[in-house]
Amino acid sequence: MNENNSPLAEAVWNQAALRERVDHDEELLRELLAIFDEDFPRMTKSLEAAVADGDLKSTGTLSHTLKGMLLNLGGERAAAAAAKLESLARTGKEAALNDALGAFQREAASLLPELKAYVPEVRG
Amino acid sequence: MKILVAEDEAVSRRMLAKSLERAGYEVICAENGKQALEQLCKLEGPRLALLDWIMPELDGPSVCRAVRKRKEHTYVYMVLLTSKVSKQETVLGLESGADDYLTKPFDAEELRARLRVGERILLLEDRLVEARENMRFRATHDPLTSLLNRGAILDLLGRELHRSARERKSTAILLGDIDHFKQVNDTWGHVIGDEVLAEVANRLLAAVRSYDFVGRYGGEEFLVVLNSCDPDYAPSRAEQIRKLVSNPPIQTAKGPIELTMSFGVLQSADWGPRSVEELLHEADMALYEAKAAGRDCLRMAKPGARVETSTPALPQPVRRGK
Repeated sequence: MNENNSPLAEAVWNQAALRERVDHDEELLRELLAIFDEDFPRMTKSLEAAVADGDLKSTGTLSHTLKGMLLNLGGERAAAAAAKLESLARTGKEAALNDALGAFQREAASLLPELKAYVPEVRG
Repeated sequence: MKILVAEDEAVSRRMLAKSLERAGYEVICAENGKQALEQLCKLEGPRLALLDWIMPELDGPSVCRAVRKRKEHTYVYMVLLTSKVSKQETVLGLESGADDYLTKPFDAEELRARLRVGERILLLEDRLVEARENMRFRATHDPLTSLLNRGAILDLLGRELHRSARERKSTAILLGDIDHFKQVNDTWGHVIGDEVLAEVANRLLAAVRSYDFVGRYGGEEFLVVLNSCDPDYAPSRAEQIRKLVSNPPIQTAKGPIELTMSFGVLQSADWGPRSVEELLHEADMALYEAKAAGRDCLRMAKPGARVETSTPALPQPVRRGK
């Protein structure tokens, strides 16, 4: 499922790492993806609003939480993009936030179809 | 074993919980630091905790610091979950009171191995606490009767007298001695004598309220402290206790033995601010009177009945039972 051709070390979705982490428990995997499906859009919207408002504290906190969530699910490249956002917010580099948010959105856009495609596979 | 998982992010929380449930833990989840602290402060709360570093309300290191401030509570083994990996941050986390830290995303096997370290430390703590409690019990209790020993009962009596003076209440002191106990030993032997002492102790304990104290004062002498005892009620309570010890006869390996006890009784309210030694001396004198009056009875210590001395003698062991 990983169609990562990026020169970056991280995968769009490191499915093998996720499976390992959940001890190959398909039921748990489905449960986690359902949580992600519900929480990710809401948190991303909040992050976008925080960046638009120049709210560094909320940007830092939200990108940190998203980073953790994505790392756990094997979304390594999106997690790295969230980490970049977090770092910029925590060091007060407000001017660079919009570009970093764009990069995060692009990585998320690559990841989401892979996860969505996987859900029926799990259900099956 | 209970374990707390404190993590605000739902995917990580569920993943951790499931992994730990599989390992046999009873998992309790918290979504922020405040909830985590509440769980850890509960009397039967978890003693193992996985705390995310960054959480709403209270972060992981703050939870660690708050838990470590409660020195009287049992030890909680805390592992910080963090994506922070710099040396400075690691030091900060451990200095806050965390026992270990784990970088995210966690590896299930490593997590369980680190928690087993925590369990070993908690087990060691349990053993140390148990050993300390055993030593404390042995230091304060009489091995034959399991009653408080002389030192411990006098210590408690001293504190109780202070408390009752402060609260303007009265403490009743009952100094009792088994009548003719030497005959029990001489006739039936020391093993039976010990059986009798243990049973008398049981009966005294059964006769008092849960917040009263009973101690073995000497060989066959017992001290009963009735806390917050109404002065008008003390003589009848003492009489009741005396009768409960005497009836029915004590069953021993060599058959039933009839025995009685004599008591000297003193109400602290009647004596004003006196030391434990002075009051015990007066109770001892009253006990002596009960013995002189034919035993199997009690006598109340009466203030002003004797000429007082400025330095009253400490109570001496009196072998009245002989």
